Amino acid sequence: MRRIFLVAQREYVANLRTKGFWFGIIFFPFLLTAFIVVPMLLERTKSVRRYAVIDHSGWLADAVDMRVAGGDLWEVLGAAIEKYEEGDDEYGLLPLVLQDVIPVLAELDPQQLGMFARLVVAEEFGAGDGLPENARITLEDYGPAVHTWWSMLPASEAAELSSDVSANYYVRVRPGDTTQAALNRMVTDGQIFAYFVIGEGPVAGSEGAKYVSNNLTDDDLRNWYGRRASQEVQARRMAEEDIDPRVARWIQEPLRWDMLKVTDTGEEEAIEERDQLRQWAPVAFVYLLWISVFSVSQMLMNNTVEEKSNRVIEVLLSSVSSMELLAGKIAGIAATGLSMVGSWLLVFFFFTKYLPRLLGAPPSLDLSALASDPTYILSFLAYFILGYLLYAAVLVALGSLCNTVTDAQNMMPAIMLVLLVPLMAMIPVAQDPNGAMARVLSFIPPFTPFTMMNRAAGPPALWEYAATTVLLLVSILVAWWAGAKIFRIGILLTGKPPKIREVLRWVRAPVGAVPERREA
Amino acid sequence: MEDALLLDGITKRFGDVVAVNDVSLRVPHGSIYGFIGPNGAGKTTTIRMIMSIFYPDAGSIRVLGSSSPEAVKDRLGYLPEEKGLYKKMKAGELVAYFGKLKGLGAAEARTRAEKLLAEFGLEDWIDKKCETLSKGMGQKVQILATLIHQPELVILDEPFAGLDPVNVQVVRDVILEMKRRGRTVIFSTHVMEQAEQICDYIFLINKGRKLLDGTIAEVRRSGDQAIVVDYEGDGVALQRLPGVRRVSDAGKTAELFLEDDADPQAILAQLVGKLTIRRFDMREPSLHEVFIRAVGGEADA
Repeated sequence: MRRIFLVAQREYVANLRTKGFWFGIIFFPFLLTAFIVVPMLLERTKSVRRYAVIDHSGWLADAVDMRVAGGDLWEVLGAAIEKYEEGDDEYGLLPLVLQDVIPVLAELDPQQLGMFARLVVAEEFGAGDGLPENARITLEDYGPAVHTWWSMLPASEAAELSSDVSANYYVRVRPGDTTQAALNRMVTDGQIFAYFVIGEGPVAGSEGAKYVSNNLTDDDLRNWYGRRASQEVQARRMAEEDIDPRVARWIQEPLRWDMLKVTDTGEEEAIEERDQLRQWAPVAFVYLLWISVFSVSQMLMNNTVEEKSNRVIEVLLSSVSSMELLAGKIAGIAATGLSMVGSWLLVFFFFTKYLPRLLGAPPSLDLSALASDPTYILSFLAYFILGYLLYAAVLVALGSLCNTVTDAQNMMPAIMLVLLVPLMAMIPVAQDPNGAMARVLSFIPPFTPFTMMNRAAGPPALWEYAATTVLLLVSILVAWWAGAKIFRIGILLTGKPPKIREVLRWVRAPVGAVPERREA
Repeated sequence: MEDALLLDGITKRFGDVVAVNDVSLRVPHGSIYGFIGPNGAGKTTTIRMIMSIFYPDAGSIRVLGSSSPEAVKDRLGYLPEEKGLYKKMKAGELVAYFGKLKGLGAAEARTRAEKLLAEFGLEDWIDKKCETLSKGMGQKVQILATLIHQPELVILDEPFAGLDPVNVQVVRDVILEMKRRGRTVIFSTHVMEQAEQICDYIFLINKGRKLLDGTIAEVRRSGDQAIVVDYEGDGVALQRLPGVRRVSDAGKTAELFLEDDADPQAILAQLVGKLTIRRFDMREPSLHEVFIRAVGGEADA
């Protein structure tokens, strides 16, 4: 026991001194930040798409502009309502004209709010029939003031009120020369991203409608503008056919489904955002598990190869038995791994607690509650240890057969191939945690730790936990029984790495015997 | 007092290959015992069995009075043929670590390690990483790691390999110092002169079998007597002399190996008149000759 402890202690201290260990600890927060922040930054820094329109119909482009302006006002009002409801200090800094209307508008549902915004932009202050009584009166009383404020507001200030206004993404330019030849030149020069040509009679059909751009992959602008133009055209068609827009809307109204789940007590409960997050949270843990199991068991392998190639192994074996050495190494590296994983979990917890708020996510989205969910944390730690033990047995046996780190690295692709399976299955398993694939993978020991972690949101039945864990433990024992036999012979071998058949013979041989080694 | 080491008919097979075949040996306390043999003779396998890294297929081993080598591991010191250090560990830590593995307390191991390194002129390297040591220094550090717990029996596998003359002298002094303190040293070597100079006993092994063992004088006596003849004249006269088993003629000087009961005087008498004899010198064979002869010229040592 004393020797095992000494070996483990040396191993741990030696690992603490490596740059790799500290790099692993420090790198992780950066990685996590990058994962969260980079996509956000990318989205924000996506360059504004500038476009032009040639309108042969004489009305559609203006109608679309008005619809866009209504949509933007809707976003600005929505953002203001959010501040009002949260009691945010910034609410007091909003223009007074907004503060006059927000308390009333906060009562509206999003659709009614959209209608209010559209009517303000269109200066139809008396057309608020579809709105609740006090909103209709607000529209009549304050609508003109809001309209004036909105039409005078520079796009940059609107963008400050809500990051979702269209000016942040798409800007219509109005060049003096609107011939197609001129616009083509602008497209080639990169002055505009694309331009639209609207035919003479868009109500009759799509004839003459064109979208010209040199970017063939990003069709966000075409969808965005096209959807608004279509809505305007549809409104005109209804008017021509004398169809009440309300009737049309009613006809087009799809069935909406309230999303519910059944709780443990058999009651129905509305699904919130955090429920969906909870469903997906294990995926993050699987990633973490995968990285840690893989890197820590690889640490054990490299370490074994190093001791062997350093020729320290034989001196060690004169002081400790090969099994004491093996046990010490496993314990020492497990301690290293747990230190690293522990620091990762802490970082993960703090980041999920503070980072989203820094980036402006709503506080109802409590990620840290998920990250510190005991089921997840306990499964994570348990499966880290089990997964490490299984893969460590395989890798330490492989490591003992290699003479150089290069030899060992040449064997890694085979292991990687196996390890890729749970990674590829991650999304499908998260979508259907108790499905056939998830169940089958759970019962294949090399995949058990990852798959069961992946299914934690399910969660799997108790018997499945029990059965897969027993199977995994048995596999770990078998792996160590074989791995230890290979280890005690392999570490003393030099020269050509042995063939698989030879290695299998070692596994079958009784302890203490070193079977023959036939060259070639 | 019981012997430090007793091997009784130990055999080790690796499949069809018999690495060590029915070897028996007695190493008395306080002696220096040299293991000699060509590469692949079975020296290292024998040593590994003594160190309980391997287990013999047959026969028994008693080390320091215990039939279980595992039980006395802490009283043994072993320097393997393939020597290595943890590159990233500091020299002082490394020596202390091996001391701790052999049962020393942490503080005790540390003090002894620093004292030993200082004695061997390595005080400036105590806090330096092993990767910065030169080869000779590294080997000294390894020997110190072998000795820190003051083992009763030390086994050194090729301790002189790769050392310059100064360090060879250092290691030799270490071995002799051990003997003076009443400890037992076993070492293996290829260099006969070294064995001849320091060893009390020699154990010669080839192809897994013991060829000879005993004191240096016994071993040398067991070899053929040789006569060195410096001469002028036709060397044909040296051939086919009665009582001479083999002649090694170099032109001006020749070695004659006699049959067991041959009389050197009779041979001299036969040569006088045929050749001008400048020297006729009778001597015991060197260990080197015994070695070459015993392994049948197959040795690549």
